[in-house]
Amino acid sequence: MGKFIVQRFLAALVTIWIATIAVTILIHLVPGDPVRIMYGSFQTTPEELEAIRVRLGLDQPIWRQYIMYIGRLLQGDLGNSIVGDQPVLDILLTRFPATLSLTLASLAIAVVVGMSLGFLAAYKRGTWVDVSSMVLAIVGVSMPHFWLGLLLLFLFALQLQWLPVAGGDWRSLILPAMTLGLANAAVLARLTRSAMIDIFDQDFVRTARAKGLPKSIVLYRHALRSGLVPVVSMLGLQFAYLMGGAIVVENVFAWNGVGRLAIEAVFARDYPLIQGFILFFATIVALASVVIDVAYAFLDPRIRYS
Amino acid sequence: MDRRHLKPLWRRPVLSAAIALPLAVTGVAAGAQELVWARYGDISSLDPHRATSTLSMQVWDQIYDTLLSFDMEGTPGPNMAKSWEVSEDGLEYTFTLNEGIMCHDGSAFDANDVKFTIDRAFGDTPSLTRTSWGPITDVSVIDPLTVKVTLGSTFGAFLPFLADSFSSMVCDSNTADTFGSTTAIGTGPFSLVEWVKGDEIVLDTNPDYVNWGEPIDNAGPPQFDRLIIRTVPEPQTRLAALRTGEVHIAEPPFDDVAAIKEAGELEIMVAENTGQNVFWEFTISRPPFDDIRARQAVAYATDAQMAIDIIYGGLSQREWCPIARGVFGNDQEFCKQYGYEYNPEKATELLAEMGYGPSNPLETTMFVWTGGNRHKLAEIFQAQLAQVGIKAAIEIMDIGTMNARVKEQNESPDADTPGTFDMMTWSWYDPDILYQLWHSPGAYSGYQTPELDAMLEETRTTIEPEARLKKVQAVIKYLMENAVHVGLYTPGWEWVFAVRPEVEGFKIGPFLHPNFQDVTLSDG
Repeated sequence: MGKFIVQRFLAALVTIWIATIAVTILIHLVPGDPVRIMYGSFQTTPEELEAIRVRLGLDQPIWRQYIMYIGRLLQGDLGNSIVGDQPVLDILLTRFPATLSLTLASLAIAVVVGMSLGFLAAYKRGTWVDVSSMVLAIVGVSMPHFWLGLLLLFLFALQLQWLPVAGGDWRSLILPAMTLGLANAAVLARLTRSAMIDIFDQDFVRTARAKGLPKSIVLYRHALRSGLVPVVSMLGLQFAYLMGGAIVVENVFAWNGVGRLAIEAVFARDYPLIQGFILFFATIVALASVVIDVAYAFLDPRIRYS
Repeated sequence: MDRRHLKPLWRRPVLSAAIALPLAVTGVAAGAQELVWARYGDISSLDPHRATSTLSMQVWDQIYDTLLSFDMEGTPGPNMAKSWEVSEDGLEYTFTLNEGIMCHDGSAFDANDVKFTIDRAFGDTPSLTRTSWGPITDVSVIDPLTVKVTLGSTFGAFLPFLADSFSSMVCDSNTADTFGSTTAIGTGPFSLVEWVKGDEIVLDTNPDYVNWGEPIDNAGPPQFDRLIIRTVPEPQTRLAALRTGEVHIAEPPFDDVAAIKEAGELEIMVAENTGQNVFWEFTISRPPFDDIRARQAVAYATDAQMAIDIIYGGLSQREWCPIARGVFGNDQEFCKQYGYEYNPEKATELLAEMGYGPSNPLETTMFVWTGGNRHKLAEIFQAQLAQVGIKAAIEIMDIGTMNARVKEQNESPDADTPGTFDMMTWSWYDPDILYQLWHSPGAYSGYQTPELDAMLEETRTTIEPEARLKKVQAVIKYLMENAVHVGLYTPGWEWVFAVRPEVEGFKIGPFLHPNFQDVTLSDG
């Protein structure tokens, strides 16, 4: 088991390492002079721009820039933002709790709604319950977060006035979490349905029924536990989707997390902040995948031996 | 009618510690009235020397005050300074301050604070707009209420600058480490409570505020307790929040303005004399726009009135001048005589002279920056240009990138792609913007000639208004005749406000300075 964890952890480190290369190259891929784009107030002199270029190390060859970047990174230094001149890591850590709460709430909604719907569809396979559940799931998968968010906002905030439109108190979490969660619930519903249909056809389920176990015990203790193993393996990927979706949803609902921060950074041409966000995002997703993989291995002993 | 917006603050749901959001707001007394103003973005800094965005300036207006202030027509007059004298050579300005101006920390504002502000603008980390202060060589405190500013040469834009937010007066009691980020001590109508970056700025009414010269009725402090300036990026969310009463004032989505007006639930207010100018500007260092005929062809082929009617439906006006309404020297009749009325036949003729025709269209790229429905406008212009044989691709980018790329285009005379042109936008309070754009080396390394440089220098050094007007008009004529700076329309960004009915007295001063001192909040 220890070897398995180390392997997964090393894989995560490789992912993060690739992200460090990507963010170093990023600044050079943008059309135009990055220093002028970032700092080019119309009253900034060429000498001042050159001084900034030297300060940021952008006058150096790209390989040296990369080594300097890694050196700072190992000391926990992601640089300072252009806007406000503050440590990027501090800014990210200040706003990450809002994104984490949104992501976890969305995940909870996705799991509860998605798995229930999938299980029900599988159990009632071929009936109108199955068909309507899957139609709903396809609609959920197809609908962009942006659009779903606005629809929920108009219904629950504007028409019914049950919930606030935007940030301010904990109730503001409900609509963005629903938006993110319902879209991902659709994916989980389809996955759960497929997994459960496979399980229902397995010999051990038939045997359990044949030896006279109550239906509920067979369904929940035998079938559900086995059927959920592949679904749990998807949660790591779901977490990444949710983090990505948060960028759009936070903007719609004015939720003050790192997703919105990323958009602000792009519009402010704040490259250190954009770089920091990408690396931070990659790290969170990679580490979450490790956690999910390890949990999965605990759930299913076959994983660690394979 | 929904009245949640007037609910006493103590009854509002408090932030749940469980979700650990950095949204907690310092409380105010029960029954206190708050006004929520939602905007699409946040400020860059609370320090007036460290940002240039309209979003930032509008917040500085609430926290700080300026020595002079603009009237509704954009003319500077007394404010914190009740009077001033100018030496005969125009190099020394002696300002007399009003008595009793108080900083938000309770200290008295005096001539030392004026000196502190100006010295700071030229200090080790100078103001981003330091050259707009003019050629200041010295600031002397004569006595607590008298301060003398000495210039190295005469500077026509000096007094207007002192009425603009970039010259906001900063109290010398500010702490260098935190100023601009978490603290900001000024003398304006509101004092800073908290800035939750990316989310909201909370300001409380300054009970000591005295309005010395702003063009509003109320001479005292604002008439409600708290102003919350909230960031809500999505236009439809802002509109929903306006409708539910969570927000009192916000920029609505353009496409919904007609429906909002028709429904009558919100008042639509449009800023006037904003100083915002949207114009064509060209890469002149290489073909095709190094030839005046190509520039004129674009100008003649553009029907700006038709385009803005379609996209903005009366919210914007055709602007003939290179400096917009509200700015000294703007005169539609004067500019129109040198302007380019829509004339596609003339555009086709000019292109034919250059060898372009139906089988050989002029190919170029139009740069446009994001927001304000400009991408839709660009598509209309693209279609208009196509009708005369100009094939213009559209590239949309943010304003910072566009500024940098326009400059690079001009600095690449040997590039093997056709020169570009762009829908450029500028907002300024004085015709000195023309100097900053076109005097060599210029903001974009664009069109420049010794003749134009000399004319622009005269607009700076001439301070007598009538004489300066003539100098400014000479520059306008030159820029338009040479099709260097072709005015299209005004205003162009962040100038439309939707206001809830319970808000009375909201005003938008010249150069897009929202003013809340006359505002009262009724029960609706």
